[in-house]
This record gives sequence, structure tokens and C-alpha cells, in this order.
Amino acid sequence: MRQTSIRRRLIAIVVLSQALLAAGLLLTGIYYTEWRLLSSLDAAMQARATSVAALVRYTEDGTGNVYFDDSLIPPSIDPTHPDLFAVWTEKSGLLVHSRNWPPALQIPPDGKDHWRFKWAHVPYRGLRALHVPVLDREDGPEFHAQTLTVVYATPLIQLDQQVHAAGVSIAAWSGLLLAITVLLALWGIRRGLLPLRELADQAASVSSSNWQLHLQKDEEQVTELRPLIDSMTNMLARLERSFVQQKEFLGNAAHELKTPLAVVKSTLQSLLQRPRSEEEYQQGLEHSLEDLQRLEQLLHWMLRLARAEQWAHGGLRRDLQVIDLSATCEEAVERVRHLAAERAMTVELEKNGQVPFKADPEDLQLVWSNLLENAVRYSPEGARVEMKVANTNGGLARVIVADHGPGIPADELAHIFDRFYRGDPSRNRATGGYGLGLAIAKALVEAYGGNIRAESAPGEGTRMTVELPTS
Amino acid sequence: MRVLIIEDEPRLAENVGRSLRESAGYAVDIAPDGQDGLFMAESNEYDAILLDLMLPHIDGMEVLRRIRKAGQRTPVLVVTARDDKESVVALLNAGADDYLTKPFDLGELLARTKALIRRGKGQPLPILSIADLELNTNSRSVRRAGRPITLTAMEYRVLEYLLHRPRAVVSKTELLEHLYDYNWEKFSNVIEVYISGLRRKLDNGSSRQLIHTVRGQGYVLQD
Repeated sequence: MRQTSIRRRLIAIVVLSQALLAAGLLLTGIYYTEWRLLSSLDAAMQARATSVAALVRYTEDGTGNVYFDDSLIPPSIDPTHPDLFAVWTEKSGLLVHSRNWPPALQIPPDGKDHWRFKWAHVPYRGLRALHVPVLDREDGPEFHAQTLTVVYATPLIQLDQQVHAAGVSIAAWSGLLLAITVLLALWGIRRGLLPLRELADQAASVSSSNWQLHLQKDEEQVTELRPLIDSMTNMLARLERSFVQQKEFLGNAAHELKTPLAVVKSTLQSLLQRPRSEEEYQQGLEHSLEDLQRLEQLLHWMLRLARAEQWAHGGLRRDLQVIDLSATCEEAVERVRHLAAERAMTVELEKNGQVPFKADPEDLQLVWSNLLENAVRYSPEGARVEMKVANTNGGLARVIVADHGPGIPADELAHIFDRFYRGDPSRNRATGGYGLGLAIAKALVEAYGGNIRAESAPGEGTRMTVELPTS
Repeated sequence: MRVLIIEDEPRLAENVGRSLRESAGYAVDIAPDGQDGLFMAESNEYDAILLDLMLPHIDGMEVLRRIRKAGQRTPVLVVTARDDKESVVALLNAGADDYLTKPFDLGELLARTKALIRRGKGQPLPILSIADLELNTNSRSVRRAGRPITLTAMEYRVLEYLLHRPRAVVSKTELLEHLYDYNWEKFSNVIEVYISGLRRKLDNGSSRQLIHTVRGQGYVLQD
């Protein structure tokens, strides 16, 4: 897997954008500097070209010929690098040129008045201007005014140096700025990520004895961390609940297993205490076997409960078929009929057509059997137990098991679904109960997304209601 | 010695009871729940009570509290499935003298019960003696001046009880209370039979009589 780093990414983004900005700034700066320098240079060149043109005069002889008065040539713009110029007349072509005029200089065609060229490894800027010479005599004959073409060029060495200096300076400042930004970004990101590290430290300190994240105000105030903290807190709460539940179950289970174990152990030890008759050995072994079978039974139901609770919390992950829920009720009633008959009791089932439900029929039968057996066991002999199954309008299947027994006191009613809870242990032990039946029923009902509740009125009986979502 | 077992698991109570009867020669009563247990503890005199914590009706802790509240000083050995520190501390603080966790060893239970009874009567050693008479509660043997004496089970019980309370006047009723369990009809004249049997066996060949009759009150074991 490729490791990625938020810090590195952020730094890369910062550096990249800063570099782009710097490059843009540099280009703009160079272009602007050059443009500013060139425009002032152009003004100076224009002025000099005009001055040069003004040195072209008519001769005194009235022929209209011109000559160049070279006594007043304007000084070069850059005193260390002499300017170039040349003047052409309409009539006789090249009239004059500066001493250092390159004969092979290509003048660009009309329409382009400024251009750059290189001569003797020196860059130049050229200017072409059209001029009409000014008449220096007001009283002279009217001449057909000649058009002069003046080309003036100046070396760009100084300008290029200035532009270069400006570029270097902009680049240097940009670089410095970039470095400062990166440092600031590094520091900021480090500081920004500090709550994350704190959170990680807190998460690392979570253990089976400490399920809390002890957060500072800082972390809680970071908006970006809020969803993470919330989901971590929720996750921890869920984990803690299931861990505590497991621990409780283990504790309960160990506790419940100790008594039957103590019984078997004491039987065997008492047999060994002194020589016994064959009959005593026989009886002792039979008792031990019986107790071991009870232990086995208890283990079986504990595992059944553990599995049901796992389904209830983790969801059923089985391929389930749609079955008729009322048929499972019928089956359960059949199973309990024998027990009911022993106590001269009747079990009535009231149903109303099929109730399709997606489930393992064994699970449902176990739920109904537990409810029915409880009802039969805790009702007086000859009493009636009723089971009703119906589809409600709200997409629920409702199953009710009602007895006419002594009822359950309110303080016990709150605990009847707790595992290993025996309302009245003497009664329960006598009937072989482990205090798991209703806990298993509840876990199974919840595994199918339903709920179970008990209502009881002392002296009138108990009514257990199971609701299962059919859709 | 008479012991009360308050235990709702009938087979466990039966096994423990049998072991106490057979190996220690104690009289044993069994109460199947807290209510019965409390009633029996209040209406009879026991030398020790073995108490289960998980009991129907009234739980063991409550039984213990009520026994102690009623001023009973009988040693109580609690048998519990819980062995966490908190439970043990709570038990001892509620007045239990000792505890044993399930599943326990019958031999250990026996030894602890014996020790509790001894301590309850101020006798630290398992070998009880007065003058040249010696009774070993472990091997259940009796000697006088080094000479082994064979006693019947009931004679042994009477002597063991008297040796736990040397130099004190012990009435016939007290002896009956502590030597017979609930299911026996109690006739005080049987005590006279055992005492005379004991006297004959103990004092045989010795110039000093150890068991004395205090007229109208009972018996004293002394030089």
C-alpha cells in the first residue's frame, strides 16, 4: 500500500501555487519593466530622431537640394555606447549616416517602426521615422517639400541590464517569500495536526478497563475532527457495551457452572471418603451422571443464548426462507400439549390464516415453546393457556401468550428477561429451569428485529407479547 | 457437635451432610432455603452453620445479617460461587467467619468446619486434652495416660463436646441440643447412659475421676 502524507501534500500544494505565483510575478515584472524602459527609450529616440531630421537643411542656391549640418548632432542616449542613425531623402537616397552605421543593416518594411536587432554582438533598438524638413527661410521660393526617412538606433545594453536586474530582484524576493511561506505552512500544518496526534494518543490509551477518550477542549473544537471523534466515541460505546455484556455473561456462566460442578465433585469425594457398598457406588455414579447431564444441558442453553445474543447484536447472517409464522405456533403448542396434559391444562391457539415471515422455524418454535412452557409451569392445575397470533396493520406479526397463573410481582417482572434470573429459584430448580429460557426468547426475537414484553397482574396471570416486523 | 447446612441444592447438602456425619461424627441439619435456615438457626443451638449464598426466598447474605443481628455467635462458614475480593470482604464484614468457593473440596470443608468449631469454643488445637486424657479430633481416637480407649460413636460425641468446654457445667439439654440433629426424638435419659458408659471406660484403671455430676445442673469435665 502506498503511504500518503497530508503534510507532504499540503506542502506540495503550497509550494506549487507559490512557485506559479512567483513565476507569473517574475514574467509580469520583467515585461512591465521592459515596457516602461522601452517607452521612455522610445521617447528619447523619437526626440533624437527629430533633432537629427532638423539638421537636414536646404542649400542656399535655391535648387532645393539638401545638406546635413553635422555640427549639432545630439548626444547618444547611453554615453558609453554611441547611437546609430541614418537619413534618406526622397530624391537622392542615403543622405548621411553616423560613423558607426552598419552598412548591411536590414531596415524592416514599412509599417514596422520599432524593431530589435543585433550588430557586432550588441543588441539595438531601431526606430524609423518619416520627416518633412522644416523650411529655414520664410522668404525663399516654395520648394516641393521632400520627405526624409530617419532611422535611429540605440544599444540596449543598459536597458537589458536594468531588466535583468529587475528580474533578479523579483526572483530573489519571490524565493525568500516562498521559503517563508513553506516554513509557515510547515509550522501551521504541524500545529493544525496536533489535535489529531492528541486524538491518536487518546485512542491508544483505550483499553478494556478504559473506554473513554479524554479529549482536551482543543480537539473538540476542531470542526474537521468532530465527525471522527463522534464516530470513535460511538464505536467505543458500542464496543464497551458488548465487552461488558460478554464479561457479564462469562461471569454469570462461570458462576452458574460452579454449583452443578460442586455437586458432582462432592458426590464423588463423599464416595471416596470410605469404602462403600456396591449399592452406594451405583447410586453415587447415577447421581453424578444425572448432575453431569444437567451441566451439559446448562452448557447447551448457555451456548444457544450466546449465539442468539450474537445474532441480536451483529445481525442474522443466514439464508432465510419465508415460512408461515402461525404454523410454528401450532407446532410449539403441539410440543407443549403433553406437559399441559400432565397438569390437566388446556392450551388454545387462536390464529387467523397464514402469517408469512422470513425466519428459521426452529428459532421461532424455541421462542414460543419457552413462553408456553413458562405459562404451563406457573399456572395452577386445570388452568387455561391462550396463544394468539395475528397480523397487525402496521406490518407487524403479533403473538400473545397469556396464562391465568399467580402473575409476576412488579419487582421481578423487570428482571424476567435477564439471563440466569430465576424469579423464585425454588420453583425453578424444581422444574429444571436455568433462568435462560426468556433470555434466549428475547435475544432471538431481537435478532429478528422484533420486541418482547411482559405484562402481569398479580392473581390474574401473565401476558407475554411478541411483535415481529413482517416487512 | 451439631451443624446446620443451609443449601438449596439438595444433593450437595446431602453429600456435605453425609461427610460431616461420617468423618467428624457431627449431627447435621439441612435447610433447603433461607427462610427455613433462619428459622432453624434461631430455634436450635448449632456449633457451626454452613451457609450457601444463592438461596431462594431470603438470600445467604441476608440470612447471615439476621443471624448476627439476633446476637448469635455461632461460627458461620459461607459457601459461595463468587470469589472476587469485594464479595469476600462484604461477607466477612457481614459477620461470616470463613468462606469456601464452589466447587470445593469435601476434605477442606471438613477441616475448616472443625477449625471453626474449635475456635468458636476457644480451643486452638485439634488435639483436646484434660489431665492425662487426650482426644484427637483428626483421627477420632481417645487415649488416657497413653492407653487407647475405644468409644461408641455417641460416647465419642459426648466426650468431644465436653472436652470443648472443659471445667464448665454442661447440662443434659445442652448435650442433647448439640449432639442430635432435628430428626431425633430427644430423651434426656440417653445422655445418662452415655455418661455412665464413658465414665466406665475412661476411669477404668485410673484413680482420678474426670467426669463429675453437678446435681440438678449437669456434668463437668475436670481433674
